[in-house]
Amino acid sequence: MRPSESLSWEALMHAANRGDQQAYARLLGEIAPVVRGIVRARGGALGAEGCEDVVQEVLLTIHLKRQTWREDAPLRPWLYAVTRHKVIDALRARGTRVEIPVEDMAEILPAPEGADPFEARDMARVLDQLEPRAAQILRAIGIDGDSTAETGEKLGMTEGAVRVALHRALKSVARLRERMIE
Amino acid sequence: MKTDALIAALAADTTPRPSPGARMMRVLPLAVALSLAALLAGWHVRPDLAATLSSVAVYKTAVPVALALSALWLARGLARPEARARREWALIGVLIAALALALVWGLAVTPAARIAEILDTPDYTNCLISVPTLAALPLAASLWALRAGAPLHPARAGAAAGLIAGGAGAAIYSLHCPHDHLMYFFPAYGVAMAAVTLAGALIGALLLRW
Repeated sequence: MRPSESLSWEALMHAANRGDQQAYARLLGEIAPVVRGIVRARGGALGAEGCEDVVQEVLLTIHLKRQTWREDAPLRPWLYAVTRHKVIDALRARGTRVEIPVEDMAEILPAPEGADPFEARDMARVLDQLEPRAAQILRAIGIDGDSTAETGEKLGMTEGAVRVALHRALKSVARLRERMIE
Repeated sequence: MKTDALIAALAADTTPRPSPGARMMRVLPLAVALSLAALLAGWHVRPDLAATLSSVAVYKTAVPVALALSALWLARGLARPEARARREWALIGVLIAALALALVWGLAVTPAARIAEILDTPDYTNCLISVPTLAALPLAASLWALRAGAPLHPARAGAAAGLIAGGAGAAIYSLHCPHDHLMYFFPAYGVAMAAVTLAGALIGALLLRW
């Protein structure tokens, strides 16, 4: 896949489901500003960092529930449904009640890319609670931009073990975040 | 951790997630088979089974099977967050309306004393206990499969799992039970299936949140 090529989100998710990491990263990168726009439009009271927490929660949910998207269906209705569900949930957990009519979702503009570092608070706390090895792997791949192979080399693990540990770590992150906001 | 970093970590995680449908196909047949084996081992099959299944009394097996299959279809729709599952709900609605009509008809043509007589058997309590017991494994299997889904309404998805299981349990138990009267079916099978459906809704409300 050439990076300049314009591909539909369906095509990207389709490729992602077959293990194309590049396509998946690009899709999530394109989805994030859209989700951010929705979260900010509805949860502005949370502040920029609070909103980013919710954005990350939505992205994590998209990741863990991506198999409920049917490959012959358009991606956006699915994406909006997941986002809406998580945003309402996250805002309710933080004491804000919101109504989001489904029809409005497509009309909310994506958040502009800016100097905003998109740093979130919750994730830092979650990483602290995570098993040290799991946090190390998440930091290496996410923050240092290492591949699973490089991470394995650094930590003296096989690449397969890193993959399994990464998958478990992300599931733990989702669980810990859930517990944290309850 | 910045969002870009999270995205990088998510993209590196290529471990496929199970789909609710795939899980259902894997565990539900197994759960039903185990419940069927339990019936064969612990309850025994009614001696006139072959004759029953080719008579009108087959409804006692066929109706729960139909309910379970439509609930399975409904659960498949409810597991997707964007699906409204209108046709699936409509089918369940039609089935329940037809059963309600049958119940009204049964009540109209059967004198109350006769109904009391039909239900005056220790088998009645037996049925109310046996159907949920035989439904337990299918319920666990269906709920576990749906945990891989993303239902917008966990209680409704749980109820669908409950009806799958209640229907399966009732269909299995019908192979043992010798009472074929419509006014036995509703108070026994109907109540038992409703109870399992309700249990599914209550457990689902807790278990199927995401």
